[in-house]
Amino acid sequence: MPSVLIANLWLLLGGAATTVELSVASATLAALIGFALAVLQVFGGALLRGIAEVYVYFVRGVPLLVLLFAMYYMLPYSGIDLPPTLGGILVIALYFAAFMSEVFRGAILAVPRAQWDAGRGLGMRSRVLLSLVILPQALRLAAPPFVNTCVMLIKSTSLVSVIGLLELTLSGRQIVERTLAAFQIFGGVALIYFVLCYCLSLYARHLEKRLAYAH
Amino acid sequence: MPVISKSALPTPIEGRAVGQPMVEIRGLGKSYGRSRVLHDVSLEIRNGEVVAVIGPSGSGKTTLLRCIDLLEEFEQGEIRIDGEAVGYRVEPRGRRVRRPERELAAARSQIGIVFQSFNLFPHMKVLRNVIVAPVRVKGEARAEVEARARELLARVGLADKLDAYPAALSNGQQQRVAIARALAMRPKLMLFDEVTSALDPELVGEVLEVIRQLAAAGMTMLIVTHEMQFARDVAHRIVFMDSGSIIEEGPPDQIFEKPTSERLRNFLRRYHRACVI
Repeated sequence: MPSVLIANLWLLLGGAATTVELSVASATLAALIGFALAVLQVFGGALLRGIAEVYVYFVRGVPLLVLLFAMYYMLPYSGIDLPPTLGGILVIALYFAAFMSEVFRGAILAVPRAQWDAGRGLGMRSRVLLSLVILPQALRLAAPPFVNTCVMLIKSTSLVSVIGLLELTLSGRQIVERTLAAFQIFGGVALIYFVLCYCLSLYARHLEKRLAYAH
Repeated sequence: MPVISKSALPTPIEGRAVGQPMVEIRGLGKSYGRSRVLHDVSLEIRNGEVVAVIGPSGSGKTTLLRCIDLLEEFEQGEIRIDGEAVGYRVEPRGRRVRRPERELAAARSQIGIVFQSFNLFPHMKVLRNVIVAPVRVKGEARAEVEARARELLARVGLADKLDAYPAALSNGQQQRVAIARALAMRPKLMLFDEVTSALDPELVGEVLEVIRQLAAAGMTMLIVTHEMQFARDVAHRIVFMDSGSIIEEGPPDQIFEKPTSERLRNFLRRYHRACVI
């Protein structure tokens, strides 16, 4: 029975590679944008903070699938026609940036007020204080929810199959259409997603232990 | 009005003129919303002088100290350090403007502050905690700062803990690191904010001893404390605060033996009663 799966394993693994590429690219971009949004929300003036907040609330309130359709069907009318890979990465990144920004913002705010006082009391100015005292502690606090968001992101890349990107989910669907072995193939797809996410979680656990310091 | 006592002052350090006022606070006032935490506080601290502030919880002692280090904003009055108004400047039209961060930071870097809860940087080892500010704020040479830090840490009895993380230290040790960290900036004024209140009782002595040595070396200090005996031993002058105002100040003997105000008498009576229990 699993021979169908074995016969098509390379195709699935090829799709999985695309999924990994998509995930790495969009997660990196999302982390950068999210971090910038968080810094704006915590330290920006009223205007910048307002813009960042509106962005976060808007994006969190719209389904990713809708954003993908908007990019794929609506953007071309405005003359912007992104290739699906780039468009997919951008949409996922912009979407998850909103979640990442909340992760980072929460972590920055979770660094005790007393640490700010201690740094300021030593004459540190904001930039030094942030880079030496606040962010190193905030990033440790952010690590677990950050990984959690990355896991969600990996799974969400399956949605780009609807705009024709041949990643893991779409590869599986095409094989099923050819072989009709839905159970084995989608079982395999699910297993591959699980392995990807589980490995990430394990690595995060390891990282968390290495970065830990007792309070 | 407060009278500055004429008690003997210790020898000055680094050639500073003894008895010249270093900190001059005039008419300091601060509120949180409706509640007034500081009301018309005026106080002078002279070079080499050790001033202890006592008073019940919530009397504004800590806020006063944080105002001097510019960690709190204040609405009224002014603070001068070595004659220079810090924190705010007054524009020609009389508008009070908070000074830019650069100037606040510069003023803070000359003042050492030690907090009740130590506030060491938990992600840095002891040595790095002590050297980070002199190197990154004052731009001093790392090797030089490190030598100084080792010496300071040895002086507070922690020569063997350079590579420990703060979490591995007892709270008394952490507080001594915090003192060394503040001293590494070579401040001209040290502020202590109830530095023994969060310590295990048996570790209070080791921290007080460090402060005592500093006093003997002629460091100018403002000490907010609940340790009455310590205040009496180490301070040249005691300031008693209640409800955001300075009620009484004077030499230790006068404050503890002949308090003139009813509130101070009550405070000391309650304190002694608590000690007996």
